[in-house]
Amino acid sequence: MCVIGNKMLLFPVMFPIIAAMFFLFLKKEKQQRIYIFFSMILETISVIFLCMTDTEPLQFWQIDKNINIMFQIDGLSCFFAGLISVIWLLATVFSLEYMKHEENTKRFFFFFIMTLGVLIGLSFSGNFMTLYLFYEMMTLLTLPFVIHGGTTQAMQAGYKYLGYSIFGAGLSLAGFFFLSQYCQGTAFTAGGTLHMQSVTGKETLLLIVFLLMMIGFGCKAGMWPLHGWLATAHPVAPSPASAVLSGIITKCGVLAIIRVCYYLFGVEFVKGTWAQQMILCFCIFTIFMGSMLAYKEKLLKKRFAYSTISQVSYILFGLMLFSPISFCGALLQIVFHAVTKNILFFTAGAIIYKTGKEYVSQLKGIGKQMPVVMICFTIASLSLIGIPPTSGFVSKWFLAEGALSSEYEILGMAGVVILMISALLTAGYLLPIISDGFFTKKGEFVLKEKKEPCFLMTVPLCILSAVAVILGMFPNGLLSSITKISNTLFAFV
Amino acid sequence: MQTLILPFLILFPMACGGIGYIIGNKKEEIRDYFLWIVTAMVLASTLLLRGEYKFLAEGFSALSISLQWGGLHSVLAVMTAFVWLVIMVVSKTYLKEHQNKNRYYFFIMMTLGAVMGVFLSADLYTTFLFFEIMSFTSYILIIHTNTKENFYAAYTYLAFAVIGGLVTLTGIFLLYDITGTLVFSELKEALVTLENKNMAYATGILILFGFAAKAGMFLVHTWLIEAYTQAPTTVTAILSCILSKTGIYGILILGGILFLHDETWGMTLVYFGIFTLLCGGILAIYSIDLKKILACSSMSQIGFILVGIGMQGVLGEHNVLAVEGSILHMVNHTIVKLILFLTAGILFLNTKSLNLNDIKGYGRGKPFLMSVFLMGALGVMGIPLWNGYISKTLIHESIVEKILLLEQAGKSTVEMQTIEYLFLIGGGFTVAYMTKIFVAVFVEKPKQKQYCKKYINGILKAVLGFCAILPSLFGIFPHLIQDNIAKLSRGFVYGQPSEHTIEYFSWINLKGAVISLAIGSIIYIVWIRMILMKKTKEGSVYIDKWPNQWNIQKQIYEPIVLQLLPFLGALTARVIGSVTEGFIVFCQITIFNNKTGKVIPKEDAYFSVYTQAGKRIFKDNLSKSLAFFGAGFAFAMLYILG
Repeated sequence: MCVIGNKMLLFPVMFPIIAAMFFLFLKKEKQQRIYIFFSMILETISVIFLCMTDTEPLQFWQIDKNINIMFQIDGLSCFFAGLISVIWLLATVFSLEYMKHEENTKRFFFFFIMTLGVLIGLSFSGNFMTLYLFYEMMTLLTLPFVIHGGTTQAMQAGYKYLGYSIFGAGLSLAGFFFLSQYCQGTAFTAGGTLHMQSVTGKETLLLIVFLLMMIGFGCKAGMWPLHGWLATAHPVAPSPASAVLSGIITKCGVLAIIRVCYYLFGVEFVKGTWAQQMILCFCIFTIFMGSMLAYKEKLLKKRFAYSTISQVSYILFGLMLFSPISFCGALLQIVFHAVTKNILFFTAGAIIYKTGKEYVSQLKGIGKQMPVVMICFTIASLSLIGIPPTSGFVSKWFLAEGALSSEYEILGMAGVVILMISALLTAGYLLPIISDGFFTKKGEFVLKEKKEPCFLMTVPLCILSAVAVILGMFPNGLLSSITKISNTLFAFV
Repeated sequence: MQTLILPFLILFPMACGGIGYIIGNKKEEIRDYFLWIVTAMVLASTLLLRGEYKFLAEGFSALSISLQWGGLHSVLAVMTAFVWLVIMVVSKTYLKEHQNKNRYYFFIMMTLGAVMGVFLSADLYTTFLFFEIMSFTSYILIIHTNTKENFYAAYTYLAFAVIGGLVTLTGIFLLYDITGTLVFSELKEALVTLENKNMAYATGILILFGFAAKAGMFLVHTWLIEAYTQAPTTVTAILSCILSKTGIYGILILGGILFLHDETWGMTLVYFGIFTLLCGGILAIYSIDLKKILACSSMSQIGFILVGIGMQGVLGEHNVLAVEGSILHMVNHTIVKLILFLTAGILFLNTKSLNLNDIKGYGRGKPFLMSVFLMGALGVMGIPLWNGYISKTLIHESIVEKILLLEQAGKSTVEMQTIEYLFLIGGGFTVAYMTKIFVAVFVEKPKQKQYCKKYINGILKAVLGFCAILPSLFGIFPHLIQDNIAKLSRGFVYGQPSEHTIEYFSWINLKGAVISLAIGSIIYIVWIRMILMKKTKEGSVYIDKWPNQWNIQKQIYEPIVLQLLPFLGALTARVIGSVTEGFIVFCQITIFNNKTGKVIPKEDAYFSVYTQAGKRIFKDNLSKSLAFFGAGFAFAMLYILG
């Protein structure tokens, strides 16, 4: 077995998995917490260090010419790996406190640590085989979060999650079997690897394959038609887990979609086809449906889950327009949505942890009980709606400009209108919580005691809220790195 | 270095609001004085700053913040700072019995910064950014008193602010897509070359929506009456004096820059303005609540300004009368409404009611209060020698000028003449409802004799006294003050200087005011005294004939926005959303049907949520097997590497 390339790349992938193994031997609670915290810090540092340095790709386990495990670091990998590791670290800190009131914490953290390694592997993956391997592992390793409660409801949600995810991944794999015949290689290369001569005459087949793969990976991202699991599975998980499920795991579906669209098929092949228009329509459906159902939902966490369905489809909409501007918007939206949705689920978690309230109608006066938490909630809400100068506005700006300047006048316009309707609905399902939380009518609410959670919960919340505002005001650093990625992708068009 | 004063004007009040909040937690008194000093400093810096400055912060929110000083920007900034200083000073007395004062002061300072941002903005993104911040911070000011009606009013305000903001944002997206720029100085030429004018108008109307909602234009005015009435008096004053002007500022950008000299746009705006001023005037006549009358009056005066802005477009190149009239009416309205709302506040402080029947005759024997109120009332009525007369005359003259131009060209003048008459009738309404208040509060005899007590403190007296001088000062020396303000600010909307100075007190110009006065007195005598009042044993009583059945918000907007649309939307969403699960259920019925005798694995029953209650299905070993999977993977990896 020969290993070619920089072996350092294996460290961030393998380290959490091994660390999780050793975690099982720790008995004392305090030891466990310190161990978790420092292994996460180490992991984050190593990921960031690797992203900063130029490394050559790593290949091993050569079964066939096209089938091997390959890790590589390009702009997109850095982008995702950095985002995932930072958010994961904060989620870990939050869950250290939150999991105190849950059972089976050891099992939870075991999988929590391990999943990070898999996610890093997913973002470093350099060919489809690796991507698929880690994608399936991610599904399996995140399942314990969903069924953590052990209730009938949780188990059923878990099965639903499993069923949809495996089906979606299977769909993509089936698509890939067809696709691989027309590829020059399975390694991801910017601009696509399609062999143009062999493609001629088979365009329709390949577009159907494209559609299938999109729907398959779209499952993780909650895209219509395979969105059904998301609103069932996310709310039943413990809050920090639902935060990362919504904030990060859905984005891994997006990552897979980017890899397939931009690195296997290539912009040139898909742009301007009926398949693209169809996916755009799916995205528009999903955006509207998610927001509308969230508006009608009474359970707080489920409301956020529906909101995720809608917000992640913003990303897919931007990606599927295949223009540099909307691509920027989509990548920005990935970051901003990850940040804001984590804040929202963290606040939901803090509320459940401290007061046990789960329904929106119970939240009257919550802002007086937990002011810091609810101020973070307010910032996140404004960002999710897209009120300047918070971050959500910036991504929406790029998405809308990309949509309007695209070649599809009607679809682009419909997209912008739906974005705005969705923003309005977002305001409709978030702002009443805030105003009921902070402003109460006479005699409606009496403040008995403050229930602000401890620093382990508030610090991640405050950091994320600060990020949500600061990145909204000064997005240029982020934007330049995204532009670099998009330049490599659109150089061929 | 001096350009940094522009962001300073925005950030300084905001930062000091935060400091004030911290101080206020310890000592309320010190916070009040601290914020007085802060606003005074803001006013001083706006007054001392001369010349023209530009400030540009590139890359903010991926666009840029661009601020400008000079011309209209500085006039509005001075006006804002002045109003704020007055409000901050009187807040101490007015809010004595209120709770959450710390929150109020924090957000009022935030609002000041945001308003400054709107008025200093030199591109549409900056305007929008601060406009949105202002909407949210002012919402918290409106919701200050925690009663049911107040909550309803504040929610309505927020709904209009959010919907309006998003519609405006859509328009800005479109505009940026069409023109590629949002900077005012470039927008002037941006639409000229455009072939498809309809697209431009659609964009303009979308952008207009949010600004018009804030200004209180007809059809989107419904929040205004409730919110103005329910908010604390100081906040109402701010809403009427300043926040409505931010909406007007946005409309000025559209009418005076984007659609420069565009007749279609101008005419639409004129009609909306006429409807607004008539609707506001009629509602004010019907109302018997002092604050409600003043709220409707605000709406009516906004209508006058809108007519002025519309006439800018209608008149084309020679629109200096309309330009100056609309801008001056913004300033004049601010001054008089400040006085009127503060007087209303004093009445409320002492009587705890604003119903005209309750406060009837309260002002008798209080000459100071009466003269202050009279100054404001005469100003807004447009009586010669007071400020409102100047600006109303200018707008009126611009309509007359258009009629003359049409006559010269030999075209029909019926449309314009109708507009002129409606305009004058609107002026008559103003006269009528202001007389109604004056007579009710200061002339009629009170129901029961009231014992005299001290109704006003020294600071309030000084502030009100100073404000009360302004209307007549502005009115008696129009060439000295108003003309200079107009000269300073007309460049914003590209108004060309006129060839000759206007003789405000010549008969031809006085005619309009006289007609309005005559109409107003007829309306007052016939409509208000005969129809809207009833003679009882205890004297005459104002009857509440407020047209509740004509409430377009409750009758049309709320059912549509809160019930019909969500119902339809949710129906669509649920249909779309359950396609997949419906398919799964269909498969379960047909393929996995237990009754057909096929063997299916037990787990398959859980692939969808459709519950099969009562089964214990928790399996401990699932997670264990997943754990072993992970372990196996790690060892396999190590083996391969080794």
